[in-house]
Parts: sequence; C-alpha cells; structure tokens
Amino acid sequence: MPDSSLKSEALLEQMKLHIATNAGKELTKKIGLVYQLNIAPKKMGIDEKVFVVDLKEGKVYEGSYKGKPDATFSFADDDFLAVATGKMNPQMAFIRGKMKIKGSMSAAQKFTPDIFPKPSKL
Amino acid sequence: MAMRDLVTGEPSCAVPGTSSSNPLAALTNKILGSSNKAQELKGLPGTSVTVPDASSDFRTEAPLSTIPGSEHEGQQYQPPDVQNSEFLRQVHSVAHGDPAGAWGEIHQPTILPHAPGRGIAPPYAEFEQIYDQSASSLPQPTLDGSPQRVLSSFLHSFVDSGRSGVPFHPAALPMLGLSEGDKQCIRDRSCIMARHIFADKSEEYINTQVNALLHSLDIDSDHRVRGHIRGAYPELEEYWTESQGAMNPRMPHLASKWASEFSQQTEQSDPEAWVNSFEQIHGANGWASEFEQEQTQMTLFGQTGDYMSKMLAMEQTHMLAHTLAQNTDPKFQNSKFLQFVSKMSRGELIVDENQIKPATGSVSSGWADEFQTQHSANPNSWADQFDREELSNGANKWANEFASERILQKVEDQWVSEFSNLHIQDWADEFGQQFNGDVSGEGLADDWADSYGNFLNEQLVSFRKQSDSSRGVYEFSDLNPYVGHPNPLKEGQELFRKGLLSEAVLALEAEVLKNPENTEGWRLLGITHAENDDDQQAIASMMRAQEVDPGNLEVLLALGVSHTNELEREEALKYLYRWLQNHPKYGSLAPPELADSLYYGDIVRLFNEAAQLAPEDADVHIVLGVLHNLSREYDKAIIAFETALKLKPRDYSLWNKLGATQANSSLGADALYAYQQALDLKPNYVRAWANMGISYSNQGMYGESIQYYVRALSMNPKAETVWQYLRTSIELASRHDLFAACDSRNLDILQKEFPL
Repeated sequence: MPDSSLKSEALLEQMKLHIATNAGKELTKKIGLVYQLNIAPKKMGIDEKVFVVDLKEGKVYEGSYKGKPDATFSFADDDFLAVATGKMNPQMAFIRGKMKIKGSMSAAQKFTPDIFPKPSKL
Repeated sequence: MAMRDLVTGEPSCAVPGTSSSNPLAALTNKILGSSNKAQELKGLPGTSVTVPDASSDFRTEAPLSTIPGSEHEGQQYQPPDVQNSEFLRQVHSVAHGDPAGAWGEIHQPTILPHAPGRGIAPPYAEFEQIYDQSASSLPQPTLDGSPQRVLSSFLHSFVDSGRSGVPFHPAALPMLGLSEGDKQCIRDRSCIMARHIFADKSEEYINTQVNALLHSLDIDSDHRVRGHIRGAYPELEEYWTESQGAMNPRMPHLASKWASEFSQQTEQSDPEAWVNSFEQIHGANGWASEFEQEQTQMTLFGQTGDYMSKMLAMEQTHMLAHTLAQNTDPKFQNSKFLQFVSKMSRGELIVDENQIKPATGSVSSGWADEFQTQHSANPNSWADQFDREELSNGANKWANEFASERILQKVEDQWVSEFSNLHIQDWADEFGQQFNGDVSGEGLADDWADSYGNFLNEQLVSFRKQSDSSRGVYEFSDLNPYVGHPNPLKEGQELFRKGLLSEAVLALEAEVLKNPENTEGWRLLGITHAENDDDQQAIASMMRAQEVDPGNLEVLLALGVSHTNELEREEALKYLYRWLQNHPKYGSLAPPELADSLYYGDIVRLFNEAAQLAPEDADVHIVLGVLHNLSREYDKAIIAFETALKLKPRDYSLWNKLGATQANSSLGADALYAYQQALDLKPNYVRAWANMGISYSNQGMYGESIQYYVRALSMNPKAETVWQYLRTSIELASRHDLFAACDSRNLDILQKEFPL
C-alpha cells in the first residue's frame, strides 16, 4: 500500500489499467499528447506529487516527464478529482484559479474528463 | 402576483380584515417591491439600458402601513409578472360572465405569451418583465415643491379617473424633466395599471386612456423603443439568454407551477385561513424579530469584511482587465467574463458588496440592502430561492434560507480575497500569452467566456454540497408526504423491500424525524442512500446511526464502504478497524492501542487472521475485499469478494461490490456479468444500473452507457454524479443535441432517445 493518501492517486491507478485496454488505446490515438500533473494534497504548489499521463505512449506513472510535456497542470487533490470526474469543467477550474496551466493552450483544451475512467462504487 | 393578491385584499381575492398591520402584506410588498434590484441585471450584458436610480428611490419608499387600502394602493399594487397581465386579460374577457367560472379559467395552467417586440426568449423575458414591472412599482417619493409632486398628483388623478369611470383628459403640465428611465417606468406602469383599473373596459378604451396620460407627460407610447435598444446587440442577447437558460433550466415552468400551486391553495381553503394560520404559526411579530436577529448578524459580518483585501482585488483585476482587453476577438470583448472583470476593476462589483453597512436605519432598509447585495452578487439566487420557496411549506423555511444566503455571502467574500491572492498579474500574463500566442483551438475564446456564465451557478451548487453533505450533515427532503404517517419505519422497510428506493428514503426520513434515536431508521436510510447511489447522504445518515449505536457492525461496515467510494482512505480505515474491534468474535484480535495509528498493513494482517479463524464468515471476506480496494490491490479484492459470494450467493450488494472492483481494474466485461447478477436479484438497484453505465463508458461504449445512466436516473433523479457522467457520455457519443435535455434534466427526452 502506498503511503500517500491522495485521492487522485486512486484514480490515476485506475487510469494506468484503463490505458492498456482498447478504450485506452483509442484515447492515445485520439489525443496523442503528454500531460504532466502536479497534485498537492491541500494547497496548490505545496508538497506536490508529480504524475505523467502520457497519451502518446499510453503510459501513466509517478515522476516527472523526461522532456517537455505538451501541457503541465497544477491542482489540489480534490480539484483534480472534480475535474477528472466531470464535476467541474476544466475551464471553470482555470477561471476559479483551481487549475494552473503551463504549456500549449490547444493541448490544454484537450484535457477533459473524457480521458479518465470513472470510478465504480462498491 | 398571487401572493400579493392574497394578502393585500385586491378585488380578485378579497381578504376582509387584512389590515396594514398584517406582516405578510408588508413582507409581500417588500419582496415584490425590492425585486427591482434585479434591474441591474440588465446592465450585465452590456446594453445601455437606463436603470433608474433604484437604490435611492427604494430607500425613500413609503412606509409599509400605506400599502393596502391607502391612496397609494393603485400605485403600489402592481402585477409582478406576465401571467398577471394575461390574468387580467382573461378577467376582462369574461368580465360579464360568472366570476367563479372566470376564476377557474384563469387558473388553468396558462401558456405564457411572448412579450411582443422583444428579441429575447420567453423564459428570460418573463423574468425580465417581473423585474421591470416591480421596478416600476416604486412609489414616487412625495417631495415638497418638486416636479415629483406634480407628477404624483397627476398620476393620482389618472387613477381616480379609473375609479369614477370618467374618461381621462390630457392636461397641460409644466416641464417635469423626466429622464428616459423615469419615462420608461411610467410607460410600463401605466399600461399595466390601466389594464387593472379599467378591467371592465375595452382594450381600446384602455389604450386611449394610457395614451392620454403618456401624451400629457410627453412620453413616447411606442413600446418598442426598448426593443430597439436591445436589438442593437443581438449577439449579446443571445449569449445572455442562452446562459440564463442554462443556468435556470426550471425557470420556464416556474410561473405556471406557481400558479397551479396557488390554485390548489385556494381550492383547499379560503385565503383568510391561510393568512390566519400563518399568524398562528409565527405570531405577528415572530418573524420580524427573527429577521432582526438575522440583521444583527449581518451587520457583524459586514464589519468583519476585509476592506483592504477588496481594494487589492480591485487593483489586481484592473491589470487582468487590461490584459484581457488586448484581445480583439469581438465575441470575447463582449463576453460576460470581460464585463465581469472590468466591472470588478472599476470597483462596481466590490462596492456593491460593501453595501452591507451597519444597519443603523430601519430593518426594512437593511433588508433592501441585503436584497440588493444578493442580487448583484448572484443573479441566480433570487430565482433559485423562489423555486425552492415554492416547494416549501411556510415562511419559516424562508427565514432559514435567508440565513443560509447570508452564509453564501461569506463565501462570496472569501472568493474575493482568494481571488486577490492569486497573483493576478502572473495569471493575467499567462492568460494573455496563451491567448495571443496559441489560439489554434477554434472557438477558444467562446468556450472560456461561456463557461464564466456557469460560474456563479456552480458556486452556488458547490456551496450547497460543501455546506451540507460532505460535512456529514444530513439533508432532508422538502415536502415529505410521510411525515405524520403512523408507522413510517414499517412503511420504509416495505418500500425498501419493494425496491422503491427514493420513496423509501422519504418514509425513513419521516421515521428519523419522529425517532431520531432509532438506529435502525438511520441505518436503513443509509443503506437506501447507498443503493440509490448517494454516498454522501449515506455517510451522513450512517454517522447518525453510529452516534446512537457506536458498535453496530452493519453501520461500521457501511461507513467503511461509503468512505472507500469517496476515496477517503483514512476515514474508511478507521471504520473498518472499528468493525473488527466491535465484533464479538474477532474483537479480541484488535489491540486497542492500534486505533491511534492505523497502518493499512496491520489491519489487513488482522483481518487475514480473522478469516483463518472463521473461514465461513462471509463478512470478514467482505471487509477484506473493501480493504484491498482501498489499497488498489484489485486482484486480491476480487478473490475476497468471490470467496464471500460462495458463502452468500444471493447478496446483491456483494455482486455489485465484485462488479465495481472488476470495473476499477478495467475488467469491464466481467463487471457487467456481476452487475447483471445483482440486478437480477434486485431490479431497482440504482447503484448497479449506474455502475453498468460507468462500465460501458469506460469500455468506450457510450451509447450503452447513456442507456444505463438514464435508467438509473429515472429511478433516482437526484443522483448528481450520474448526471455528470451522463453528460460526459453524451459528449463522447457526439450527441450534442442532447446537452439541453441533460442540462434541463429532461428525462423524458433522454429516455425516448435511449430506451433500454
């Protein structure tokens, strides 16, 4: 069990499995971009964990991307979850200052709830 | 309209004995009168509508006691919505028939007429009418020796002419120096008033009268003047209307629903009884004193507001506005977002909020301020409040709402300071760069600008969520038919057994309201919510159950499961460990000192020991399965659930747990089989239907996923998460035509499009 209690990690773990499925491969074909996520437990920028969602190679892992990601996002844990599950749309998150973007705007535009699998409920 | 009719004793609905001391009458007039603040809404899309100086007028409003039956009555009484003019037209048309028939006919749900000459959609038009008209119902301040006085007496003579039935003759008046706004006010008002006063006369007669009046005042009687002003900004109107539609999907039905509710009221009892019962419940003064308390709190809050941070925010938004203004896209230039930012940079928005002054004046003017603040801050809240008002039973509820709105302001305030902390300069730079440098996505500006429209609304929604459920506070439904039921628990159990989950929720809520100390009521309520796919409510009710009975194993397990679903790992661990501690057989395994520092590994080890101790106990395997879900060791979790299922093959929730675990580890096909088992055992298991949708969606089968989501929603339309997922699936299925149906939560259309 990883010692971190980021909720986002649970979702990214599912993403890791998801990306290997047919639907996941479809995604890499459709988007083909590399996103880096900096996710902080509470406040953006503090104690961030870095993840890479590589929709070019079809990989999800913890750590920084070697090279330049198409877009880098900063989130607090809950806000990433809200965006990934469609509770808050990314534009809204940006306007509210809940999401910081670095990199290409058009790449950022393709960062939508659609790319993440939805967690099922026990 | 109905409310004012009811309390002020207008001819259509006479209430003898409702005197000026009636607090409800005062209340109504305050509500309807003060809604003129919404006029400011029109400023938002950037049209140059002249807004009469509403705030100053409002302060000088005639005292409450003048309202019913006084000489101001004709002016005060204004039908505040379109429906009323429709109403009057109908009265007029049946004026010579029998009144009872006319009454009935009027209260048929009427189709609202489009406002002629205005290029705006009906839902908004309707509301705007309300605003316009109630704005125009401002009493003219009777100032000495001023043109106002002349005007006032002139208008009175007009009203009197209606009473005496003598045609009104134009008169020569001195120059009054009316502004465009005033004129507009008078024009609108006199038209409506005339309809009212001359309800027994013909349309032509009314028109002649109005024209005579307007002519004397040198006012152009062409109603389309306003339409023309608006017409200059067709695009803006579109934006505005669109966003209004999106923000208030229920608005179109509002007026007619209200009307029908009103007609129910009148069927049930005569209006006086209603007024009396109101006074009985709250006392003539109870409400006022309650309100005063609120007011004091308001004042306190107003003083604590940090003025400096607002100034800072203003400064920084100014820079942002500057950057944004560099963008030349006309659509973006006209966008509400930019309007908002520039407003904020000019300090308009913040100044509005600062109007929460120490309420040294009368309570009523304090309220006016409050209302205005609400309005400028959240155009939506008024409508929203109305909507909820309509569902609620009494004014008490309204007072509560008032209190919560007040908290909302705090949120608004927080937001302002949060905004100012965001290093706007960086943000603005970044935004500007990205905008100018990399505008390859088409309609980029639109997207961003549009989404601002949802911003306030979203804030409201998220606030409500945040304030209630996730803090573990149970949110009761309004209007519960089971309150007063002799045995709601039994009824709830029965409904639950039949699979009518949403109905069972109501019955069980009635039970826990009646017996708040009943663990079983809370527990079953929690289970029902979980099966209805609402974990937050499930958690809230289970926590209440746990307060009453801290050692209840089912409750502890349910809390563990729901927190796992919400990805709240520590909470989940805590409850699952307590399950072990409180278990009669395995309790001895759990050393109490562990409770202070829960390590996942220790807990799993203990449960494995328990499983060895009693391999035939399905419950231990279930908890193990949940624990492995927490650690995302899905393969182990699947084994645990499968073991449990061998022991309890007819446990539908267990099938669902297996399915969900399989789905989370991307074994979609297996998951579908497990869910199907669950649904065979319990056909109305909303959670399993929703999970089916998720599973299809994750497998890229969006059409199917929509079918299942819609099915789940048809059983529980309150499942917020499912609505979000549905929207995503609609997007992915490229069925943009269904967004409107989804946003307005129109299940009929969705079910027709995606039958299962």
